[in-house]
Amino acid sequence: MTEPLLSIRDLKVEFSTRNGRVTALDGIDLDLMPGETLGIVGESGCGKSITALATMGLIPDPPGRIAGGRILFDGEDITHADARRLRSLRGADISMIFQEPMTSLNPVFTAGDQIAEAIILHQQLGRAEANRKAVELLRTVGIPEPERRARSFPHELSGGMRQRVMIAMAISCRPRVLIADEPTTALDVTVQAQIFDLMRDIQKEFGVAIMLITHDMGAIAEMADRVAVMYAGRIVEKGSADAILDNPLHPYTRGLIDCIPVLGKAAGEQGRMPPLAEIPGVVPPLHLLGQGCAFADRCPLAFDRCRIETPILDGRSHGVACFATEMEAV
Amino acid sequence: MSMADATANSHAVEGARPLRDALIAYRRNKPALLGMLLLSAIIAFVIYGTFFFKGDPYEIVWAPQTPPGTDAAVPLGTDYLGRDIMRGLLKGGGPTLAVGAAAAIITLVIGISLGGIAGFFGGWIDDLLMRVTEFFQVLPALLFAMVVITLFSPSTLTTAIAIGVVLWPQTARLTRAEFLKIRELEYVTAARSIGARNGRIMWKVILPNALPPLVVSATLTVGVAILFQAGLSFLGLDDPNTMSWGLMIGTNRQYILDAWWPVTFPGIAIFLTVFAVSLVGDGLNDAFNPKLRGR
Repeated sequence: MTEPLLSIRDLKVEFSTRNGRVTALDGIDLDLMPGETLGIVGESGCGKSITALATMGLIPDPPGRIAGGRILFDGEDITHADARRLRSLRGADISMIFQEPMTSLNPVFTAGDQIAEAIILHQQLGRAEANRKAVELLRTVGIPEPERRARSFPHELSGGMRQRVMIAMAISCRPRVLIADEPTTALDVTVQAQIFDLMRDIQKEFGVAIMLITHDMGAIAEMADRVAVMYAGRIVEKGSADAILDNPLHPYTRGLIDCIPVLGKAAGEQGRMPPLAEIPGVVPPLHLLGQGCAFADRCPLAFDRCRIETPILDGRSHGVACFATEMEAV
Repeated sequence: MSMADATANSHAVEGARPLRDALIAYRRNKPALLGMLLLSAIIAFVIYGTFFFKGDPYEIVWAPQTPPGTDAAVPLGTDYLGRDIMRGLLKGGGPTLAVGAAAAIITLVIGISLGGIAGFFGGWIDDLLMRVTEFFQVLPALLFAMVVITLFSPSTLTTAIAIGVVLWPQTARLTRAEFLKIRELEYVTAARSIGARNGRIMWKVILPNALPPLVVSATLTVGVAILFQAGLSFLGLDDPNTMSWGLMIGTNRQYILDAWWPVTFPGIAIFLTVFAVSLVGDGLNDAFNPKLRGR
């Protein structure tokens, strides 16, 4: 069995806020295998982006801090690596693309300059050579007229092109892990599909492992090999993408899947579409988390035990942290 | 590959030419162009006066308080001692502009360094630097500048330093505010995510984005510094052996009711200079901000 490239063990991240100390991540376990795509799903505020930032060593400290657990990259514990080591990892071995291509590019530098900058930070290359490589990368990520586009400022590019530029920056040093934090949320649907195609191509070409963070089950179905479903700082269900999409165990996962609108499905007798499914309520604020399952208040299956004990993710290949449904999985 | 191809290619990978783009944008901006022309004319006038014009501005050449236009030898008239106003303008421009520029540079260097560090790191560093800034800010500016000048002997350099030391807190606060705002933006996190170090993020990512208001503030500082120097000269705290426009106003102010011209012409010179510098500053701001181009 191959070793995981990135391995997160019992990771706890805390933030000090006005309401006291809150636990944003409460014992996360994740493994990312070389060349695979791991999807991390959940609503806003459930800890997906914090997981990504923690992996990059970018938790803003203060107010945040890693309170426990380990992050292993290729066997090396990088949880408490010094700033120099982290800088040499970032961009070179682990890189990241962000949600908002509008705001994640520096507005005063051209696309080419920014990619060249990323190259120069990690490779012993002159400016001219780096610029040449930047144009090459723009071609790789499917930008037409890369020579001209290299000289465009971010505001002169469309959203999809900016995200391509971000991807070009992220892969400029051939990283082994690419963290994509909602890479298509800000883009329209046709462009989303193109960006996913591009990410798949890049994965094939470079063999990079992708950690795809999203709230969109459709994106998971399209991209992910394995999936971790997060809720309120914990992983509530974990397994292969097929298993989770075909046989979701946790009521939260089921809710997320029911939220995907399906064209033509169940148009009623009068030809009316049933209303779009939703999960009632919102993710509880972290400082109000008490004992018991964090999802209990929104859960259709909750019973007394759920409000007293916190369910633990079981260790099976398709694991779930739920008292109500864990029996089904056996 | 042919020679032509090679050139074309090297152009393509050359990256951006922000300077050239900015220049093109600047040329389209009429007020900025006017400011640049005016400033060039003033600088040419001052360069001629400083390096090529041989007359002595302190020399008494004509009857005292001769009105302008009386004789071609003293086109702008004479002051209360009979010294040529035109010579004063020619010889006094150099020190005036030098003090303005030097004070603005001192202000920028201190202000951007301290403000940038305070805004970027935050926490106790920010608190400490901002308390220092406030300390300088609550001192009465003119009084403080006077103290600095009297501590050392009055000269063009001490005047510039005194003005710079008095004016930097504004720039520091402005820089800090910009850094505080920009450091939270996603492209700063993105820069970290590609492995950039703090210094690089501060000076190569945040500063260029913070520059537009700072450029405007710097040009205004040039203007304020020139006025400040005029004020110091007016109070007799400038080097009396270095002719400057401020000194001319200062020494002639007592006779303003008898003769308007010895104070008015240097006043107009200062006004035009400050005006031209402000126009240029606005123009630079628009030209270097890619988003404002082509408005």
